[in-house]
Amino acid sequence: MPPSLSSTRLRAPVNVTWEITEACNLRCTHCLSAELRTAGRGELDLDQCRALIDELARMEVFQVNFGGGEPFLRDDFLDILRYAHSRGITNCVSTNGTLLDDALVDELLRVAPVYLQVSLDGACADTNDAIRGRGTFARILAGIELLSERGYPDFSLNLVVTRLNVAEIADFDRLARRYGAKTRLSRFRPSGAGCSTWEDYRLTRDQLVELSAFLGDHPEILTGDSFFALTPDSRRALGLNMCGAAKMTCAVAPDGRVYPCAFLCHPDFLAGNVTAEPFAAIFRSSPVLERFRELEVDTCRTCDRFSVCHGGCPAVACFLTESLDRPDPECLRAVLPVTEAVPVREAIPAKEVA
Amino acid sequence: MSTERTTEYLVPDWVRVRRESFGLLFYDTRSTRLTFVRSGDSLAPPPFTGPRRSLRVNPVDEGRRPAVSRLLQSLVAKGLIVAAEPQ
Repeated sequence: MPPSLSSTRLRAPVNVTWEITEACNLRCTHCLSAELRTAGRGELDLDQCRALIDELARMEVFQVNFGGGEPFLRDDFLDILRYAHSRGITNCVSTNGTLLDDALVDELLRVAPVYLQVSLDGACADTNDAIRGRGTFARILAGIELLSERGYPDFSLNLVVTRLNVAEIADFDRLARRYGAKTRLSRFRPSGAGCSTWEDYRLTRDQLVELSAFLGDHPEILTGDSFFALTPDSRRALGLNMCGAAKMTCAVAPDGRVYPCAFLCHPDFLAGNVTAEPFAAIFRSSPVLERFRELEVDTCRTCDRFSVCHGGCPAVACFLTESLDRPDPECLRAVLPVTEAVPVREAIPAKEVA
Repeated sequence: MSTERTTEYLVPDWVRVRRESFGLLFYDTRSTRLTFVRSGDSLAPPPFTGPRRSLRVNPVDEGRRPAVSRLLQSLVAKGLIVAAEPQ
């Protein structure tokens, strides 16, 4: 059997999501990190950030996905980016785009490659501004236009798919192409501010099915594996076949707390703090992370999609059912009867050497 | 034939690779795709940092050379390494 994430344990994460700051200049109604703003626990200082980067580099973590908050609000963020780059780590920054100007783009191009994900939650102002705040569509678009004009090589527009904007994703994709950006769709989860907007924003059954079909028709659209529980057969080889929390990824909060993933930054899932013990030790030995690695959704084992989703997203299951080992409530099989579904197959592994 | 001995295999800037217990783990930063490769000790990744990132092909028994050659061709086809003339 070829190696895969479900059959082997990696010695380090592939990527780490690092919420580098609590500060944000927007108040998005679905923000997964909204609780960070009110936590007031502070942030790692620059020396602590460099020490963590050194350790990630020693572990050979390929990529850090910086988020927040809005990373560019942090005065020393470019220093952090430059340092991570110098240590061989690939940088990706999730930004709301409102702070992009010529000087900042100049700096980012000097540190290249820095993959930028600019968050925009609709193809028109009415839709986006209902989620991200009045006037933000124009401000974000100004940043996107600047990236486009400057020929910024590695940026995507990221839309969190909700009931409010799901009808616009084709238009959103066209908008992204117009600016030379890739389209990235992310899953809306009931964490952070999303807990209180979940019932209003969650996709209906028909919308989930339509989204699955859309993703199948557009293999070029990035998803960050948000939708592996919904992924149609035609995208199987493009991404993961199970949750990567604690296996290929984990999250670091602004104050150094470590969690299995960015959607599980909750006291129940606290794995440790890099100010108290090395990140490598937390990743290797934390009982919380170990629990995620051994997590199995037994009730999904008889499902014909088990090999391609392994029960789906534990975060969604946990927040909706208060249990980690329940099936993902938005699993394709949960919303689409077997008789209507296309068959599934195992993800295609790399060719092996004996 | 053992072209892997005379050809240099470079890892593109957008691809990262490291050793794991099963062999090598490749990560394409542009597509965020992972590729698990059971290469045993036949291939060694380049250092984590460095300007010229060359994948080292270790000497293997005669019987394993065709498999290593096929693996290298597969990795080239996937765009995870690039065959280059040695300098």
